[in-house]
Amino acid sequence: MTRTSRLTPYLYVAPLVLLIAFVFGYPLVRIFEFSFKMVRGIDGPWIGFRNYQLVLGQDLFWESVLHNVQLLLAIPVMVIVSLLVAILLYERVAGWKLYRIIVFVPFVLAIPIIAVVMKRMFQFSGPVNEVLRWLSLDFMALDWIGSSDVALWTVMILIIWRESALGIILFLARMMSLDESVIEAAKLEGANWWQRARYIILPQMRGVIEFFVVVSTITMLSAVFAYVYVIGGGRGGPGTATVVVEFYIFNALIRTSLPGIASAASVMLFLVSVALIFPLFRARRRAAQDEATR
Amino acid sequence: MTEKKAWDLSRRELMKMGLALGAGSALGGMLPGSARAQQLTMDWWWWGEQELPGLQKVVDGAVAAYKEATIKPMLQDTAVVISQFQTAAAAGNAPDIQYLWNGIYHMESVWFGYLKGLKELIKPEILTASTPTALSNFGGDTYRVGWYPLPMLWIYNKKLFEQVKLDPNAPPKTWDELLVACEALKTAGIEPLGGGIQDGYWSEWYISHALPQNLDTVGEAVELFIGDKDFRDPKYHEHWTKLEELKTKGYLNADMSSLELYPGIDLVPAGKLAMGQSIGTRLPADLKTANGEIGVMVMPVFGKGKLAGTPLLDVQGLGISSNAEDPKAAAAFLEFLNSPEQLKAFWDATGWIPSNTTFDSSVITDATVRSMWETWGLGKNISNVTNVMPGQFYERAAIPTGQQIVQGSMTGEQAGELAANTAKEWREFNPDLVENYQKWVVDLSAS
Repeated sequence: MTRTSRLTPYLYVAPLVLLIAFVFGYPLVRIFEFSFKMVRGIDGPWIGFRNYQLVLGQDLFWESVLHNVQLLLAIPVMVIVSLLVAILLYERVAGWKLYRIIVFVPFVLAIPIIAVVMKRMFQFSGPVNEVLRWLSLDFMALDWIGSSDVALWTVMILIIWRESALGIILFLARMMSLDESVIEAAKLEGANWWQRARYIILPQMRGVIEFFVVVSTITMLSAVFAYVYVIGGGRGGPGTATVVVEFYIFNALIRTSLPGIASAASVMLFLVSVALIFPLFRARRRAAQDEATR
Repeated sequence: MTEKKAWDLSRRELMKMGLALGAGSALGGMLPGSARAQQLTMDWWWWGEQELPGLQKVVDGAVAAYKEATIKPMLQDTAVVISQFQTAAAAGNAPDIQYLWNGIYHMESVWFGYLKGLKELIKPEILTASTPTALSNFGGDTYRVGWYPLPMLWIYNKKLFEQVKLDPNAPPKTWDELLVACEALKTAGIEPLGGGIQDGYWSEWYISHALPQNLDTVGEAVELFIGDKDFRDPKYHEHWTKLEELKTKGYLNADMSSLELYPGIDLVPAGKLAMGQSIGTRLPADLKTANGEIGVMVMPVFGKGKLAGTPLLDVQGLGISSNAEDPKAAAAFLEFLNSPEQLKAFWDATGWIPSNTTFDSSVITDATVRSMWETWGLGKNISNVTNVMPGQFYERAAIPTGQQIVQGSMTGEQAGELAANTAKEWREFNPDLVENYQKWVVDLSAS
């Protein structure tokens, strides 16, 4: 193979690589640069690690991190809910094709739309509490979005409802590719629903579950802004009860005119997300291997 | 033989064209001023249709009526009013005329050098009549012309007052009178006071009304941020203690924490809440909803500062950017907006009052609205102190404190502690801005 022919494929992809490097690389470089500057307007003086010191020394930042970590608690729930629904659909309960569409609808709708609807539902005098009061369950009629103790859990309910839809579709797609004869054989051997799920279906689902868990972890750390923005009244409230790291960055950049601080927090969030991409790739590889060895 | 293309000019033809263009320019210089000014184009970035429907019509009408220059208006999105201007100004591409919120929301641009002082550009009588408010002053100059006013007030439902034998024409003036009224309303099963605090603005408005009660000047509020005064001093967090009192006595509406500002205000004209905070621009519509049974009042007095009990007036304004090609021409347009014809056109298009003390208020037919304008707009008033708050303080202390007190998870004293710590944190994050704030105190304390 000549030197020229070895280079040819790289030359073909070079324009796209350069475009991507410009679109993603340039802003990234600028964010790293800004994180070391006291930016006023569009630039500012170099101040070393001062922005990082200020961010890491601020209670609000750590509170935001804690809220992101708290949101991770939603992942096991999402996995269980998604698996249960996916298995039910896989069992082809009557009308399963229609149910499949219905469960995926929340994922198709834009987050702000469903969050606004949910917010109305969960108001103190909203439909959810009205129903609870009608059922004489007044003790359960909480101030879902107006209480600092409850608001983040309300956000979590919304996230579980919407993001589980992705899990259901992923899991169902994987199940559809399983060898049905094994499951039929188990049925003939007298395995009940739980035994079939536990010993036959789940072991073959490991790769796709890992994939979903890693994707959801990244979501919880860096893609829940729209949820908290709407439910938290655009303030991360009540108080600071629903402030997450993304919201912290948004506030620093847009509302308090501190691009340097926003950049420092962004760099830290970026590095954490990058660290999580490696397990994501591993999970994807495992899912592919599972598929290949089936 | 090749065909001669249209753009293939000979050297002679090129010279001829150059001479013709030169002669044209020279002749243009001899034309009357107005004809030359036609060629000047100015950009005007504005905002406000979002809070005052009809403003688009005002802008379109003014642009069409102005013959001295071509004005190119652009309505800005709420989220980028400040950042879009500052970014453009930093790049040298700012519009000639820029919409400016009051106080720190434009003062930062003054400090960056993005705005022109107006005292040398606008006729003093027009500048004063437009009431740009004291928060537009820095270093002895003024940086905004007032455009439209936002009187900040408390409203109450007269019918609900009558139901519990309270005088509908004599709303409470002191804190003790307020507590008596609240108790009477509560006893009758009527939610006495509140609104919606979920989006945080109620917190801000509460501070606007209540903090000045223990201040002698607006400059004193700035001293709280730069560290010369301390929110831990009971005098400076008494307003939050009073809010806590309203909460613990059960006078705030039960769903206040889960309602947003405007749905919360709607409760008063709807007869579901007796008193609440509001804004003048809403008054005509609220009067209509409640069949005229809405009264306006200044927040009842508890404090001992010189500003206590004074009506609160915020004003949205316009300024001239440092990038303006011809600042005098931009100033002329701002003066044009304050001409009697344009002030009337403003009223006709919006049903709201323009910010100008020379506006003929006899056109206001509703007695409540006219009385409100005479008290809040033409009488002695003070600026909105939350407009001197640094953004970091606003987000970290001003909004959360109110929300947490209303939901019962914070005391007034704790709010003072959080405010003091946040002010300190802001000083650490923004050492450069502290210096400017220190200079600003001089202007604000003088006015």
